[in-house]
Amino acid sequence: MSSPFSINGGACVAMVGKDCVAIACDLRLGLQSLTVSNNFPKIFPYGDVYLGLTGLATDVTTVADLFRYKVNMYRLREERQISPQTMANLVSTSLYEKRFGPYFVSPVIAGINHTTGKPFICGFDSIGCIDFAKDFIVSGTASDQLFGTCEGLWEPDMEPEDLFETISQALLNAVDRDALSGWGAYVYVIEKDKVTKRLLKGRQD
Amino acid sequence: MLNANSPLASGPSYSFATPPNQTSTNIKQHSFNPYTDNGGSTLGITGDDFAILAGDTRSTSGYNINTRYAPKVFKIGEDDGTGESAHIVLSVVGFAADGNALKERLNAIVKMYRYQHGKPMSVKACAQRLSTILYGKRFFPYYVHAILGGLDEEGKGALYSYDPVGSYEREQCRAAGAAASLIMPFLDNQVNFKNQYIPGSGEGHALEARKATPLPRAEVEQLVRDAFTSAVERHIEVGDGLQMLVVTKNGIEEIYDPLKKD
Amino acid sequence: MNHLPQAWGRPRNAILGAYNPSILQPSGPKAHTTSPIVTGTSVLAVKFKDGVVIAADNLASYGSLARFTDVKRLRTFNRRTVVGFGGDVSDMQYLDRLLLSLDIEENYGSSGHDLNALNLHTYLAKVMYKRRSDINPLWNQLLVAGLDGLDQPFLSSVDLLGTTFSSPTLATGFGAHLAQPLLRKVVDDEAKVGSVTREQATNAVRECMKVLFYRDARSLDKYSIAVITKDGVELKEDEELENQSWAFAEMIKGYGTQTV
Repeated sequence: MSSPFSINGGACVAMVGKDCVAIACDLRLGLQSLTVSNNFPKIFPYGDVYLGLTGLATDVTTVADLFRYKVNMYRLREERQISPQTMANLVSTSLYEKRFGPYFVSPVIAGINHTTGKPFICGFDSIGCIDFAKDFIVSGTASDQLFGTCEGLWEPDMEPEDLFETISQALLNAVDRDALSGWGAYVYVIEKDKVTKRLLKGRQD
Repeated sequence: MLNANSPLASGPSYSFATPPNQTSTNIKQHSFNPYTDNGGSTLGITGDDFAILAGDTRSTSGYNINTRYAPKVFKIGEDDGTGESAHIVLSVVGFAADGNALKERLNAIVKMYRYQHGKPMSVKACAQRLSTILYGKRFFPYYVHAILGGLDEEGKGALYSYDPVGSYEREQCRAAGAAASLIMPFLDNQVNFKNQYIPGSGEGHALEARKATPLPRAEVEQLVRDAFTSAVERHIEVGDGLQMLVVTKNGIEEIYDPLKKD
Repeated sequence: MNHLPQAWGRPRNAILGAYNPSILQPSGPKAHTTSPIVTGTSVLAVKFKDGVVIAADNLASYGSLARFTDVKRLRTFNRRTVVGFGGDVSDMQYLDRLLLSLDIEENYGSSGHDLNALNLHTYLAKVMYKRRSDINPLWNQLLVAGLDGLDQPFLSSVDLLGTTFSSPTLATGFGAHLAQPLLRKVVDDEAKVGSVTREQATNAVRECMKVLFYRDARSLDKYSIAVITKDGVELKEDEELENQSWAFAEMIKGYGTQTV
């Protein structure tokens, strides 16, 4: 348990639906088995793109701030919002710059590309290898559990309401089997012209 | 020199009886590791009047597949000689050689119980005995996660799960082995209805949780299949075949379904 | 000679220094096998419709040295079963003696019932598991090939941990990586064993022995092959690999054909 990835704990998951995507995270921040906060969200919005970060909490904050800076600079130079695909490449190259002294984070991206109108999700390892998935991406200390629940519950072309229920059940049941994750959750459901952010209570133990 | 050949006070001694003066403190040696992990996963779910134990049939060592058909779920107490049919099932996952040794021991005990007492061993008694066997090797454990299934005295489905040194508990459902962490949260949700609430039953904390009720057999069988097809997708040690043993009052039924071989 | 019998028969300290009996440690840990010494490499076997083919080369290596080039690693039992040995050769010879005494014991009270391949595999599995449980393993992986009680083809493996498994094709050691995928192309399923002929099975095994000789550095081109059917065991112990083609070697730097 001395891996930097599992000191603070946390879980994140993104899913694709029909013309919509969803991304969700838990709220726990811990120091090994001691919980120090139950209000530590791991999803950060950058315009139309949502970035989930799990891993070492200090790196989660640093990387979130780094990308806020980079995405702001992008928007000022380009005079447009960054697309999820561009964001994916930005995350990948930024992480690889630190190839031999990486940030201990496992990022997840979700968003809808407003040029094509297509939903997009992807995940990364800590040095920027991109995982383009058509169905779902999981990360964090509950990733094994999330793989199980997502693989069991997910189905293609879900409407936003069904997608919300699916991602919520997948996350909640996964974090209940992980000692380092839980204590509530945030769920974002992203549609073309609407984003719904919900707070889930979940088990408080 | 009279004592030219006698042992030096500080030096080594000649005799086996005299302890060597030079204590061998930093002995370096290779060691033999008596355990290995043969991968795979098992799963058990009970219903009102039945119990299902399932396991994949792949056996691995490292990245190699030893065989695509090595059962992990066994009937316990079956006797071809007397025609006595089994009513208890056992699944073992972890180190296969220990698993087999454990199975054979329990099998012999259940048979002996039948011969000596003239009645079949109850699942409850068998469960306690299995715990004792496992604890008996507390300091050189059977490296297995065992699940025992059958019907209790009232004819209800019974399932007991164990850790390698004999801690045990009766449960409604349990996943064990390589993909246990993937399957277990799915089962919490689909068998015990965890995190499910009755719609419109209240606001906030007044919301009523959906109660777990025993599922019908067809539904449980499908859940088992779904759990394993999901595990196969994401765990390399799980695959090839799915073996299910279903215990009902009519005996034990065996079902085999193929799984992906990649 | 002095008054200490322990010192008799040994060189004076002045010559070699004081004798160091730590090698005879009475109180130290008892040494068991912690690694194999003289070793045999892969054993291969395939089931076919009337029996099993099994093969192993005739080399016993001492580390990277090809030490003994005429060691037979297939052993028949009861004229109906063949055991193939991979791993430590001294442990193989111990098991060979053990099987000989088992054979004699079993045949003394000859009841007309003899041990078949399945029985022998069960016996060997128990021996191997007992030894690993004593933390004193026999450093081998064995393939047991023959016919079971119903005269059906039988093929199963046991290793130094007592792990057992059975499959239509089996290969130990390097063969598990190189030969097993090739053999599985011939029979990938127990249900298909009935449609494999003796020729197909022997050819597949011989081809695999060749592939292993090409790529396994601890292998030899002289090998033993046995075919077990209802009619008994046909064991050939002095086979040589035929139709070798080293054309591929020219393409590879390090095989010695290139000068630059």
